[in-house]
Amino acid sequence: MLERLEGLRIIANAQALDAAVWPNGSRVFRLAADDVFLLGDGEVHLDDPHAIVELETGFSGMSMEPAAALDWLESTCEWELPGQRPAFAQGAVAGLAVKLWFDETEVFVMTASALAAELEERMP
Amino acid sequence: MNEFIEAKVALQWQQPKAAYDVVIVGGGGHGLATAYYLATRHGITNVGVFERSYIGGGNSGRNTTVIRANYGIPEAVRFYQRSLELFASLEDETDRWIMHNQKGLLWMTHTEHGMRAEKARAAVNTAFGAKTRYVEPEEIKEICPQIDLSGGGKFPVLGASYHEEGATARHDRVVWALAEGAMHRGVHVHQRAPVTGLLRDGDRVTGIETPDGPVSAGVVVSAVGGHVTTLASMAGLRLPIRSHPLQAFVTNHYAQAFDAIAASTDLLFYMSQTARGEMLLGAEIDRQPSYSYRSGHHFLESCAHRAMTLFPFLRDLRILRQWTGICDMSPDYSPIMGKTGVDGFLVTTGWGTWGFKAIPVGGEQMAQLIATDKTPELIAPFSLDRFARDRTLADRGSAGTH
Amino acid sequence: MSLRITCPHCGVRPLEEYLYGEVPVVPDDVVGDDARDLDRAFMRANTEGVIRERWFHAMGCRRWLWADRDTRTDEML
Repeated sequence: MLERLEGLRIIANAQALDAAVWPNGSRVFRLAADDVFLLGDGEVHLDDPHAIVELETGFSGMSMEPAAALDWLESTCEWELPGQRPAFAQGAVAGLAVKLWFDETEVFVMTASALAAELEERMP
Repeated sequence: MNEFIEAKVALQWQQPKAAYDVVIVGGGGHGLATAYYLATRHGITNVGVFERSYIGGGNSGRNTTVIRANYGIPEAVRFYQRSLELFASLEDETDRWIMHNQKGLLWMTHTEHGMRAEKARAAVNTAFGAKTRYVEPEEIKEICPQIDLSGGGKFPVLGASYHEEGATARHDRVVWALAEGAMHRGVHVHQRAPVTGLLRDGDRVTGIETPDGPVSAGVVVSAVGGHVTTLASMAGLRLPIRSHPLQAFVTNHYAQAFDAIAASTDLLFYMSQTARGEMLLGAEIDRQPSYSYRSGHHFLESCAHRAMTLFPFLRDLRILRQWTGICDMSPDYSPIMGKTGVDGFLVTTGWGTWGFKAIPVGGEQMAQLIATDKTPELIAPFSLDRFARDRTLADRGSAGTH
Repeated sequence: MSLRITCPHCGVRPLEEYLYGEVPVVPDDVVGDDARDLDRAFMRANTEGVIRERWFHAMGCRRWLWADRDTRTDEML
């Protein structure tokens, strides 16, 4: 089941995001050069006075076991999955806009909450 | 050999002349129909049709062959209804079997606003001469027993407009019948004869350039599909046209009869059964303008998925062929016909995804315009200057491809 | 194989992840305010050849990018 996530949405200039110090143990999804979704607790320090930092509850996600996840992704992605770990990637998975986090222990699958039920139907 | 080969069509090829009264660029349905009606209705036979490839090899041979008049605005309903009637009598008139087959067309809807739109369609059709009525799900099931009215639980069929006179015809036979009828009466049709430029005298277009030399003409008609803006630019004319690919496919043989033509504007697909028993499906245009005939797997996947939502039997079929045509899309989803503001240069274009069904009426009306030098009342609303006059004919909801 | 477009942030992705963004260009020889408005609203070069266009990476970073494409072949340059 995909669960609704509570994180921070951070819009700031790209240099500030590149140089940001993220809280220990947090997970940083770099959605675009100027756009981050952050999962984790703690203070964020950004060198951008115009940065927008808001609570973001619009995504849902779930953790998958790496082998099963890769099996599924390889049959439903038309693009090359990242080889290194950890890695963030986003694109069409099973025809829906999906964001993925890969590390040694899991593949974290995330999508807009509005698409979560549809994505679940398309998961193994 | 296949079941479609019959008595040979007698096409007599000629050498191009140095001058014609009328030069038609493009040997597809619209170009050949214009030549055919010039010859048969107006006795104008000093006509040369120049086709860069083979006749009917462009969009006339790449469409899904649906003939219908269930449009959403009065001007279009009257126009396409005339075409539907001309199509119905074309076999008798040409003595050629074009495999015209009246099937009835179901235009399904799955939303409240779609129901209102289809009821409005039925009303405007009835008012302007087309036979369309709104039908409830029970009757849809009677007309088309294969349908899953629940739409897989996600797209329940709430109703449909039913266009009884909706029909199909065999595309290449239409082209051949018109070519033969025109050529018998003295019209020249030239294949592998690209037009590389336009002859001009001041602002007036006076003929065409071809690799074999110039050909002068009293009037040049562009009946080009896909490359009309390129041709028009040679006359110094800019057109409100974007060329987009449209893909279609057929399955292998479906052993049962599927009598109706089925379409869903919400799910964006349309389907009919060919005389061979194949299921023929099309969907929406590609979003980016392009002249490429590239076909893609994504289209097959998404179109098949949507069609199976209403017709689960398609799961057991296999896709045999897919292909692509290049559609000249006008901003208001209506054709652009007639005078252009450039003397000696007429266009019949903007045929988007609705060209095949208009072949006879388009040819008839363009022929009348050429013969009389007066824009016929039926096509006056479709003139190019409507955009400057703020009289666009928006009818996107009737294209079935958006 | 789908047409592929390279997103500078996300990488190479199939066409279906993107929305198309048209870039209308009114030629300099169209003169007069009304004529230029008409041209901008409706008329198009509809070029057979290389065009400069925009794509929106709807299923990825949700940002616009610029691309050059040959409309005769769909080759991305």
